[in-house]
Amino acid sequence: MVNESTLMATTRSEWIKFRTVRSSIMGVIVTVLLTIGLGVLITTLVRTHWSQLSPLRIATFDPVSSSLRGSLFAQFAVGVIGTLFITSEYTSGSIRTTLTAVPNRFRLIGGKLIVLFISMLILGEFVCFAAFLIGQRIYLGVVPTASITNGTVLRSVVLAGLYLALLALFAFALGLILRQSAAAISVFVSVLLIVPIIGLFFPQNWQNDFMRFEPSTLGVSMQSPFAPSNSFGAWSATLILLAYVVGTMIVAVVLFQRRDAGSNQ
Amino acid sequence: MIKVDHLTKRYGDTVAVDDLDFEVKPGVVTGFLGPNGSGKSTTMRIILGLDHASKGQATVNGVRFAELKDPIREVGALLDAKAVHPGRTARNHLRALAASNQIKRSRVDEVLDFVGIGSVANKKVGTFSLGMSQRLGIAGALLGDPGVLLFDEPVNGLDPEGIKWIRDFFRALANEGRTVFVSSHLMSEMAVSADEIIVIGRGRFITSGSVNDLTKNAEGTVLARASNHDKLAALVTSNHGTVHDSNDEGLTIGGLTSDQVGQLAFDAGIAIFELTPQRASLEEVFMDLTAGAVEYGAQRQVPAHGE
Repeated sequence: MVNESTLMATTRSEWIKFRTVRSSIMGVIVTVLLTIGLGVLITTLVRTHWSQLSPLRIATFDPVSSSLRGSLFAQFAVGVIGTLFITSEYTSGSIRTTLTAVPNRFRLIGGKLIVLFISMLILGEFVCFAAFLIGQRIYLGVVPTASITNGTVLRSVVLAGLYLALLALFAFALGLILRQSAAAISVFVSVLLIVPIIGLFFPQNWQNDFMRFEPSTLGVSMQSPFAPSNSFGAWSATLILLAYVVGTMIVAVVLFQRRDAGSNQ
Repeated sequence: MIKVDHLTKRYGDTVAVDDLDFEVKPGVVTGFLGPNGSGKSTTMRIILGLDHASKGQATVNGVRFAELKDPIREVGALLDAKAVHPGRTARNHLRALAASNQIKRSRVDEVLDFVGIGSVANKKVGTFSLGMSQRLGIAGALLGDPGVLLFDEPVNGLDPEGIKWIRDFFRALANEGRTVFVSSHLMSEMAVSADEIIVIGRGRFITSGSVNDLTKNAEGTVLARASNHDKLAALVTSNHGTVHDSNDEGLTIGGLTSDQVGQLAFDAGIAIFELTPQRASLEEVFMDLTAGAVEYGAQRQVPAHGE
């Protein structure tokens, strides 16, 4: 159905579109600042307060995930990048120009997803590796450190980067369903922030079951060398998040295929 | 060549396009005329595969738009000049468009210069006036050097110089053997820029033909200024003519030719000072054709003397 050479052309076109708007560039800068900046802040605070920590905290301390915590804030910036990549087409009306150039809607979404996933994966891995390495450097000499040559540690850093890329795709799918920037970003933020709060009102035993399916909890699992309590292991968490992304994307693409793209909303 | 084949588009209970059937031929400028809300834009969007038809289909060069491999090399379209990301520069907008259809980059600067916005190529589209956006849209339509071109209300927002430019430009495109399909709600604009006209109202086909044919078939009137208007008016009505208007300027007579009116006056001994056949303007033809098909019209004044 999708011709290979034309999929390349679509991808090239979408890459030009992606990098020539300010929102993408700003999103990338914010992602870098949040992941690395907050990583530096958190690890520095841990180092300066290390001697005052309780023995329990020290015993359960994880130098890997603590240095990657900034990425849990950067997930919002990545989400905005993913959402705007498609909703800006609708808010500006340029979706009509886009579709007259690429009428095959599968191919259009294919091209956009390739651009978004590859660029966000590179960005995610870059910021997570940087935050990890800088964090260990800050811990050095006071706090126990982890080495990237350890397989489990490497997995945690890689999956932290992948988490950001997958969330960008999730936000993109929401944008494609809702076709409005504000609505899509609100839903995205709600899923990450509000749903966990609702979970707090559930009875304790439900709460544990419910919370571990929450995207942010899955993110914590993915970036931890050892599974936190009441959470999935890193690989299971990755698969569940992937299922969310694929499920939402299927709904989005089916709707996109069926809807008219011409008229304004 | 564009072919619209029993096309129907429904939005819930509203029928936007109702069993439309027509062809747009190459080598001429074809005007697509109808009041606002008559379904022109919807029809164009279906031709371009943006909206799905409820029934029937539209084809370009014999295939549905969605099946074209590099569509902008075959069909160029300008639907809405402002439908461009405001934060992107004109050149980057066209570069992305060119890349999607494997058009070489040098073509981008060619079309930018051709439409006269080469000097603002690196400015963000959001800062453009409507006229500049319109030119950018035309540049986008021309990018793939297509044989079929669609323009939805292209003169909107253009200054007189731009309008003149765009008319000559349509003519030139048609003379090169391309299919040029231009929609408008302005009859006067179509009268000067189109060769063939397709008229629709409320989504339905009303009529089509050359600009000359449309006005020829319409009933003309004769303006007569004579020595005795009352006597002439009585003569006209008794000879199956009608008097539309009567004042100091003269009589406006329908149903009779100027020859017939002159002969009647001569036989009755009335002196004729002026006798002018008045061809119905395209504007009047259009108003007559689409009367009742205007979706959001003001109440039309009914002429005192009727038709």
